[in-house]
Amino acid sequence: MKKIPRILSLVLAITLLLSVAGCGASDGKTHLTFQIWDVAQRDSMQAICDAYTAKNPDVVIEVQVTSWNEYWTKLEAAAESNTMPDIFWMHTNQILYYSDFGMLADVTDLYDDVEPNFYQDHFSEISIGNAQGSDGRMYGVPKDKDNIFLVYNKEMFDAAGVAYPDEEWTWDDLVSASQTIYDKTGKYGYMAYNDDQMGYWSFVYQAGGCILTEDKTRAGFDQPGTKKGMEFYVGLQDYDWCPKQAYFAETAPGTAFFSEIGAMYIEGNWELMNKCINFPNMDGKWDIAPMPKCPDPVSGDGRATISNGLCYSTAAHGKTKDIALDVLKFFGTEEAQLLASSYGAAISAYNGTEQPYFDAFDKAGYDINVEMVMDQFEYGVQNVNNSAKPKWKSPVLDELNKVYNGQQSLDSALVNMQDIVDTETAKKLAGD
Amino acid sequence: MKKGTKLSVAARREENWGWIMVAPTIIGLLVLNLWPFVQTLYTSFCEHLGFGHYKFIGVQNYVDMFQKPEFWKATWNTIYFCILTVPVGLFLSLLVAMLLNAKIKGKGIFRTIFFLPMVCAPAAVTMVWRWIFNAEYGILNQMFGLHVNWVTDSKVVMIACAVVAIWSNIGYDAVLLLAGLQNISKSYYEAANIDGASKVTQFFQITLPMVSPTLFVVMIMRLMASIKVYDLIYMMVEETNPAVTSVQSLMYLFYRESFVAGSRGSGSAIVIWTVLLIGMITVIQFIGQKKWVNYDV
Repeated sequence: MKKIPRILSLVLAITLLLSVAGCGASDGKTHLTFQIWDVAQRDSMQAICDAYTAKNPDVVIEVQVTSWNEYWTKLEAAAESNTMPDIFWMHTNQILYYSDFGMLADVTDLYDDVEPNFYQDHFSEISIGNAQGSDGRMYGVPKDKDNIFLVYNKEMFDAAGVAYPDEEWTWDDLVSASQTIYDKTGKYGYMAYNDDQMGYWSFVYQAGGCILTEDKTRAGFDQPGTKKGMEFYVGLQDYDWCPKQAYFAETAPGTAFFSEIGAMYIEGNWELMNKCINFPNMDGKWDIAPMPKCPDPVSGDGRATISNGLCYSTAAHGKTKDIALDVLKFFGTEEAQLLASSYGAAISAYNGTEQPYFDAFDKAGYDINVEMVMDQFEYGVQNVNNSAKPKWKSPVLDELNKVYNGQQSLDSALVNMQDIVDTETAKKLAGD
Repeated sequence: MKKGTKLSVAARREENWGWIMVAPTIIGLLVLNLWPFVQTLYTSFCEHLGFGHYKFIGVQNYVDMFQKPEFWKATWNTIYFCILTVPVGLFLSLLVAMLLNAKIKGKGIFRTIFFLPMVCAPAAVTMVWRWIFNAEYGILNQMFGLHVNWVTDSKVVMIACAVVAIWSNIGYDAVLLLAGLQNISKSYYEAANIDGASKVTQFFQITLPMVSPTLFVVMIMRLMASIKVYDLIYMMVEETNPAVTSVQSLMYLFYRESFVAGSRGSGSAIVIWTVLLIGMITVIQFIGQKKWVNYDV
């Protein structure tokens, strides 16, 4: 009988030994993991990691890429068991959920020893807002900023004899150009599909409406500007020149555009370099233009583009928090942000580090009017979020889906969407 | 052995070793199956506040769930999926099994071909089928000059999913049924031939009764798998697909509740409901089997 405990203890001892050996890497360096979701930015992220480790040879950083959907499932599970990656990207969709629960390290005072007003002096208000928790503290170092714009096919415009879109373009021009292109070439015009950030949100803000009120406690689907923007956007699929939602379920607008089936769609600047590289045969055939403006907004000047931005974060209770914070501190500097920009994958958030992003397109020989993206930041609207967003995002999309397939009117959808957002937000606020 | 009889030292040692030998399986079952089930049951009575923090709220999740039209729609979708896939799937599998059991050339090759879908990853299978079904460029519409929105029309999307499910499972079910068929003694058929029974009579009087125990097992397995269908529908129909509510199964709804919206409480309630559903259907089947399954050899 005595044999069994003896064998067990031996097995235990061996496992323990092995696990200890597994933890402390044999080279005596600190190993950090850096989790991201965009494979197109792996090189730029690796570059800034290398820049850091060149100065700090006792640190090794491994960049890991996980697909967007898996990323959030994994990160949440890791957060629960306090095994989050040492450094990771944070998105506006999720930052309030994570920061309100105290999962992210507060980096508000990170630069106090060098520059007390670091964030305010070097980042735009939107960039700072995108990295803030509900309490106004910083839970990430701003990484990049982006906005969305119109992508158009020059050949189709030429064939239809329509002038290229410019900053004076309004919704009416969008509709009439689409119609002419469809009539003359048989190709689709502007491909409007059911999406929030890449779809109706910008149009709502252009019309003077809003998705969430200023204090983020209520939805704005009951406001006249919101209704105007949504009516226009959802109504686009009634035209012959716009594919129906069923089409988009099988073919993404970007795919249709680069297969030369449609003349226009909306894209974000983070995808530009990727598109240039992946569709070399389309080089020179397409360009980008500002978002068309609302001709008669309920309020405002009719201009808006949804501007989002990511940040670098680390766990609040990570084992390597001090070193991770030091890495974050470096990632926020002008040097690191200039370097990241130069890969053309994302525009760094630090003011004045944007140019290398635009230069990357020239260097690679892609003939696109990328500088326009910079001008659009002037009327950028912060990507809509509040702490209940993960709860209401999908149900709101479902309601709108029912409008697209004719199961309900837009008016009833707006009432339901208002109700969904308000209820979930109220629940979240009451829980805090 | 009588009660109270003391075991000899050797016998006791043997018993201990017996426990140790089965321990990995038992521990695995307890840790990986039973404990998560208990947790799921508990979670279904809680609200998930975030990051593993739960608040007990009693039966509220169930009350909310039963009031949601999407929930009833998903339940019906799941049952509809079973109605579409199980009878047709079983019939085709039996047919294939009988053909593979017959004297035909290249039997080995056919068996391999029919079993191949089972070896492919479901995600990859679905991706290929999506291209076949694609309304604009899919080979199906092109070949027959149709214009059917296979995966976006709410009326046909379930049929499209059922076709893929049946296609993927025929091979596996057929192999199981084939094993059952091969256990039937040849002498029954010889006797039937001498008596002048037709092939059809032979099928209904000999083959079907003799293979019924295997058929019953396959049917139970197929039904359970169909009720739990998730990956296929998830891959076929994305969230922005206008037909999503017409095809969303209980497990798809569970995924969206638990992992997209983060409401693990209501997600767990859906799981418990599904368990009950499977339980009920299986009980009905075990009662029903007495009428048609033949265990006499």
